[in-house]
Amino acid sequence: MTPSIPVSPATILRLDQLSRRRAGRPAVRNLSLALQSGQVLGLLGVNGAGKSTTLSMIAGALRPDSGSIQLNGEDFLERPELARRLIGWLPERAPLWGELTVNEHLDAHGRLRGLNGAALRLARCAIVERLELQPLARRLAGVLSQGQRQRLGLACALLHRPALLVLDEPANALDPVQAAALRTLIREQSATGTAVILSTHLLTEVTAVCDRVAILHEGTLRHDGPIHSDDHAALERTFFEIAMHGTSDPARAA
Amino acid sequence: MSDAFINTLAVARLEWRRLVVRPLAWVLAALTLAWLAWNFTLLLGGFLAGQIQRAALPGGPGFTDLVAVPLLGQLAQLAFLVVPLLTMSAIAGDRRNGTLPLLFAAGVPASHIVLGRYLAVLAWLLLWLVLTLAMPLALAHATSLDWGKLAAAALGLTLMLAALAAVGVASSTFASHPAIAAAAALIIALALWGVNLGAQMAGINGGAINWLAMSTHLQPLLRGLVSTTDLLWFVLLVALALALATHRLGSDRERD
Repeated sequence: MTPSIPVSPATILRLDQLSRRRAGRPAVRNLSLALQSGQVLGLLGVNGAGKSTTLSMIAGALRPDSGSIQLNGEDFLERPELARRLIGWLPERAPLWGELTVNEHLDAHGRLRGLNGAALRLARCAIVERLELQPLARRLAGVLSQGQRQRLGLACALLHRPALLVLDEPANALDPVQAAALRTLIREQSATGTAVILSTHLLTEVTAVCDRVAILHEGTLRHDGPIHSDDHAALERTFFEIAMHGTSDPARAA
Repeated sequence: MSDAFINTLAVARLEWRRLVVRPLAWVLAALTLAWLAWNFTLLLGGFLAGQIQRAALPGGPGFTDLVAVPLLGQLAQLAFLVVPLLTMSAIAGDRRNGTLPLLFAAGVPASHIVLGRYLAVLAWLLLWLVLTLAMPLALAHATSLDWGKLAAAALGLTLMLAALAAVGVASSTFASHPAIAAAAALIIALALWGVNLGAQMAGINGGAINWLAMSTHLQPLLRGLVSTTDLLWFVLLVALALALATHRLGSDRERD
């Protein structure tokens, strides 16, 4: 019998000393972390901690001032076109073109991600069915509720089956049923090997779906470690210590 | 197909779709075509009324000079208002809605975003031109059209629309609000048209100031005279405006 050799999952994303200033102040400072395929990373931090700036840089929407981003082993800053197939991004508040219908949105996103013809139609039908968007398919994005916009944004992010899913506060405006469905969806994506970065204010979301948590404070990474579903109290303690004292180390905080 | 072509086509299709579902494009098309059709009937009426006098002047102005080209001249005047209104949201609208990062995050370079948006607007403007041209062409069987002169005038209008669209897209790229983009495009277009007015009033008909003016390059084309210099002027203006737009949009990823 051939002994089974543990195979470490591929590193899909590696950030090295990433920094970015916004509005004249450092929003992210020397951020380094790596993410494996299938891993779900929860990104926590108070408002202004640098979560959205970090996710915008990972998604390719914002260029860092310094540092490097390796996507699937390649230099993402040199080759921003890698985002096209590899990354799906749901920005905060899910910006949409209000004059297009849900179906037109999905088609436009699919074309931007290189899908066309039958492949695009199949991908669109699959994601519309998975996210239960059929009743909204012909509705204009401009008249959707915030929760519906969020689901459409999520559908656009998932349409091309990305290897890395970047979700910026995806549970915003979702009702409890939809939030539970989102958790199921994230677990499904993880099971198929998609790496997920989830930024949220909800600690319960993190303990429910993430297998690792990173906490940002004033643009720097203050905590990065694994998490288990029964770790909620410990995570809450760590989060509040960092939010209030800037560190999870009681000795240093004192 | 190359990535550049696919990207540009995807952006152009997206912009075209947004153009055709917005009421603004339809309202502009309906109002301007109605205005042009009304003027066409007036020009045609004038042409028919003067037919007997002109019969005594062999080689005098015909249907093309008295109806088709003046109609295109009116379209050129309307273009100063229509093009800024059509292009104002091309990039500024995306910036305002927060949808611009979606294009960057899809790995689409700034040059392809600008070109895609430009081509969509240009396609709409060319359709507008074709519908206007259809009015005199509908009478081609009953009149003696000067095809060469009409083709030169149509080429001139195409180049003018292309140049105004490029200026409009560039203004939209620099502006934070569509209304500011429209105002800027209108002012730049009017300045390009009349930059030599002072020189002409002073009786100066040559020189760099006259070369800079759009009117200097459009009017010969409307008279049926095609010269490389005039074509080059329009091509240079389009290239300059699109290059500036690309540079500005590219820096959006660097800025806040």
